[in-house]
Amino acid sequence: MERMYPSPGIRFRHLQAARRTRRSAPVLTCCLAVFLGAVLSPTPALAQRVRITSLTDVDFGVIANLQADSRRSQNICLFSNSSGNAYSVAASGSGPGGSFTLANGSSALAYTVEWSQQSGQTSGTALTANGTLSGQTSAATHQFCNSGPATSASLTIVLRAAELSRAREGSYRGSLTLLIAPE
Amino acid sequence: MFNQVRCALVAGFAASLLLTSPAFASTDGSFGATSTGSVIINASVPGRVRISGLTDVTFANADPSAAASDAQSVCVWSNTSTRGYSITASGSGASNAFTLASGALPVVPYTVEWAQASGQTSGTALAAGTALTGQTSAAINSDCSAGPSASASLVVSIGSPILQTMTAGVTYNGTLTLVVAPE
Repeated sequence: MERMYPSPGIRFRHLQAARRTRRSAPVLTCCLAVFLGAVLSPTPALAQRVRITSLTDVDFGVIANLQADSRRSQNICLFSNSSGNAYSVAASGSGPGGSFTLANGSSALAYTVEWSQQSGQTSGTALTANGTLSGQTSAATHQFCNSGPATSASLTIVLRAAELSRAREGSYRGSLTLLIAPE
Repeated sequence: MFNQVRCALVAGFAASLLLTSPAFASTDGSFGATSTGSVIINASVPGRVRISGLTDVTFANADPSAAASDAQSVCVWSNTSTRGYSITASGSGASNAFTLASGALPVVPYTVEWAQASGQTSGTALAAGTALTGQTSAAINSDCSAGPSASASLVVSIGSPILQTMTAGVTYNGTLTLVVAPE
């Protein structure tokens, strides 16, 4: 049986293709390595995120007894997706320099703010105006607490008797801003 | 006709929502690298007054040749915008008269004076059961534990002619009640 050989032109084209394959092999290997490195790297793929929700306004109403502390607590949803679900909280009031004071014209009524990293609490760690309380962790598993615990932290506002007993008669109002950051 | 009624109902429902919806002002935070929430705080402090620092009055071995007088500094606190108050005194005698009694012996009248400053040995004469209005207090807090330690003066006196009608060696007593109201 007669053996068939390709023509010289065809053999040249095959040789050229083989050379191109040998030249591009290192490039393909490098790209594959970069791709696998990106996929299999231990660096977190998700950015750290936090969210505070379920906040409600605080209304003390008419405070009948000015000789005793008056406090209001609320449960809120605090979510952090950071490692360990850690976060910090910073608070500032609407008083001068971010102080925790309510205003009634030129009269002021100071209050204190307490934070607990658990829900259902009526006291907690005292926050300082413009200060940061770090080392908090959240039990929330969803950013709106739609699943898992319904709330994950407690906020308590306190009007101290010492302040109430020297406050002028009238209606006081102010705002409190909470800034949450992942840790 | 039906559509008109339906439109009216819808409009009425929408209007009722607008009229009855509470003005929520708290804000929840967004889901992000930081999250900021805020609450509004309201508190109403009612008008209050307090009288404290009163001590019993004793005239021991009073000399009938001269009037006996006892002045004491007391704390009156008012949290109204003017720090104003009124004071009403009543005795334990008939019709709230300022009198002392000792069994079947004739009752002994005494006088009561009030000053809106501490450290005074005389003041405005009070009539039993009649309010003295237009008083103001310098007290900063309800028990004068801060600021001035006293803010008013109470003066109780028995005139020399009255003392001369009293039986020696007999104890007379009575009660003086002071009612302070905010103004």
